[in-house]
Amino acid sequence: MAVLLALVRLAVALELLPPWAYGVGAILLLGVTLEAMFRGFQAALLPGIGLLLVGIGWGYGNTPAVLLALLGVGALYWAWAPRMSEREQASFWGWVLVWPSLGLLLVWQIFPSLYALWLSFLDRFNFIGQSRFAGLLNYEILLTRDPLFWKAMGNTFWFVIFTVPLGILLATVVAILLNERVRLLGFFRTLYFLPYITALTAAAAVWDWIYHPEFGFLNWVLGTPGLDWLSTPQGIFALAMAPLGIHLQGFWAGPSVAFVAIMVMSLWHLLGYQVVVILAGLQNIPKEYYEAAQLDGASWWQQQRYITWPLLSPTTFFLSTLGLIGAFQVFTQVLIMTPTGGVLQDTLTITLYLYNKGFRDSDFSYASAIAVVVFTVILVLTLVQQRVLERRVNYET
Amino acid sequence: MTPPYALSRLLIYLVLSVGAIAMAFPFYWMLATSLKSPQEAQQARPIWVPERLKPANWRVAARLGAEGGSPLWGGYQDGRSVTLRIYTGRMGPEPQVFIPTAVGAFSDPRAEGTQIRTRYQEDHWEITFTNVSGESFRLLPAVVLLSKSYASYRPELPPDAVRSSGDDWRLEWVNLAPGALGYVFHNYREAWLAAPFGRYFFNSFITAGTQVLVGLLLAAMTAFALARIEFPGKNLVWLMILATLMIPGEVLLIPSYILLSRLEWINTYYALVVPWLASVFGIFLLRQFYLSLPRDLFDAARMDGASYWTQLVRIALPLSIPGLVTYGIFTFLGAYNALLWPLIVTDRPEMYTIQRGLQVFIGEAGSDYGALMAASTLAILPIVLGYFLAQKQFIQGVARSGIK
Repeated sequence: MAVLLALVRLAVALELLPPWAYGVGAILLLGVTLEAMFRGFQAALLPGIGLLLVGIGWGYGNTPAVLLALLGVGALYWAWAPRMSEREQASFWGWVLVWPSLGLLLVWQIFPSLYALWLSFLDRFNFIGQSRFAGLLNYEILLTRDPLFWKAMGNTFWFVIFTVPLGILLATVVAILLNERVRLLGFFRTLYFLPYITALTAAAAVWDWIYHPEFGFLNWVLGTPGLDWLSTPQGIFALAMAPLGIHLQGFWAGPSVAFVAIMVMSLWHLLGYQVVVILAGLQNIPKEYYEAAQLDGASWWQQQRYITWPLLSPTTFFLSTLGLIGAFQVFTQVLIMTPTGGVLQDTLTITLYLYNKGFRDSDFSYASAIAVVVFTVILVLTLVQQRVLERRVNYET
Repeated sequence: MTPPYALSRLLIYLVLSVGAIAMAFPFYWMLATSLKSPQEAQQARPIWVPERLKPANWRVAARLGAEGGSPLWGGYQDGRSVTLRIYTGRMGPEPQVFIPTAVGAFSDPRAEGTQIRTRYQEDHWEITFTNVSGESFRLLPAVVLLSKSYASYRPELPPDAVRSSGDDWRLEWVNLAPGALGYVFHNYREAWLAAPFGRYFFNSFITAGTQVLVGLLLAAMTAFALARIEFPGKNLVWLMILATLMIPGEVLLIPSYILLSRLEWINTYYALVVPWLASVFGIFLLRQFYLSLPRDLFDAARMDGASYWTQLVRIALPLSIPGLVTYGIFTFLGAYNALLWPLIVTDRPEMYTIQRGLQVFIGEAGSDYGALMAASTLAILPIVLGYFLAQKQFIQGVARSGIK
């Protein structure tokens, strides 16, 4: 019986597959129902099944059909419920409650991921013309002959190196200070938190204006009129070393000035989130530890170093994982502040590159190859991070 | 030993305040710029308080607005006269006054249908604009060329721009009959009218609202089933949901776009909403919550003959309101603030969400930073207001996302 119920559920989920699947589902279901009727169940089953089939067969695009299908399920349940055992009811409800999410995840997450993998093996897939199977060609070009991809990877690397430790450090300092029974806690917290809920589009527009070469506020503060932050492709390490007579090239030149400007903006945007999360982590640390440490004569610094920092490690671990994944998704601020990816593509990020390849150059298969590579990199990095850092993370509770 | 108490407290407040100022400054700068005239915005030395924020100017703006239309929003209606005084102290060369015409316009009824009269009274020039065009206008832009031979001059309403033009000062106003609100919020009104922001907001709210409501229901159903119902295949389902957790968003962009265009869903609400309805994050969060509820509660309900649906609706949902709020806030924020997805699946202005609309506006506004900042302010306003209304829920929701 449970299998029958699973079939009911399956048929309902099938509405998201190509048309011929309706037919198969319908025949299966009808057969099963007829068998159940011959076995002596209520005749009320038939209208329920009928409604369900009509609803599904009509198509999932229109609301009445979906409602009809739901009505069918309802009728089925009503007809069947008195005869169902506890276990069967549980399985019926379990599947009924699970399938909408499951179906959506299948169609919009799992299937597209596999589809991306398939697309990445094709030769220049776009909507025009035929595309051929090209094997690993896209990957070969991407990994060995594409300087822009490596530029984007380099920028992502710098983004992680600069924003993750710095962000967590700043946020920890702010959170520890806020946790010192500060008055106006709500006021301070609001000010630190507001950037996080601000839409990146608007925030990037404001920072673009602050960075403006002629009328920007930053140039007035620093007394550097005319410095065009967002159009300066020189790497900061190269600039720092130039007076010493050392000329750094390529990757070692470091992130460009423009990209540093974008990183500062991103740091500002995310800091509030990190502060709030760390503050919650701090409040989970039992007060007794500090009291005991004070009795033993530990200084404030020692308390922070030997109690707060180790016990905060699950939170910082969580934040650094999030920062790592987030670095691969940097897009909005770059698009707004340097719409083309900056001078010499110096602010190109992975997601912007993927967007450019897919939606500006209409090379969906190449973009898919980028996506698959990113997926693999993120997976490997998180696994490595888990292995390496997990050992150092101190789980209390 | 700990440093002296008072000193350390002071240090704490000092560090916190410096940080808070740095965090808040971009907001202040956005607001200030949004209330500036273009010339005020484009100064090498920043102007901290724009003219439009000075109450003395509001009174004049209200009077001028009342003359042309209404004291609040102004206007330049048919048959009305608007009078501006410029205090010069002595009678010198007569100022030249005209209404600037739109560049490239074939004819401008506002400029042609306006009678301009200038006369000297006591200590000031009085310039009267009379609308005889038979039409009403929203704005009354004006330019006055005033001789540089005047030692000093003070127009009632500060001009939006002062430039040098030969032997004259060229005083420009974007709107001489603004009304109080029309004066302060000039950039907001112009930005609002420059693009269909009303439509953008509508789309954003519809999209985000549907995602929250339907997403909440679906996530609660799934989480409840996974936490509280024993059904065959449950482990398989759970495994699949766990697998979904590993998929980063970028991977989905291309295939989802192809899927959506095959379905002909591009430029529809479906494309904006449906792919994001099922959320692994929400399922995780709520499942955790339902697992923490006492088992007996549900067993007792079961004994009393409550079906699983009744258990979900009557017990689980009401008890999980904090979790639902957390998830709701996150989903709403994500949907409202998203740019990448609307950028991909919409290319017609009537389907733009507010962020997408703002992105286009940023491209078009060029150097009109006042309007740009006004539009940005409008775009973040609903979320900031929501934050102040539900501050506790926001903070708790975000904090909860970090505790696993």
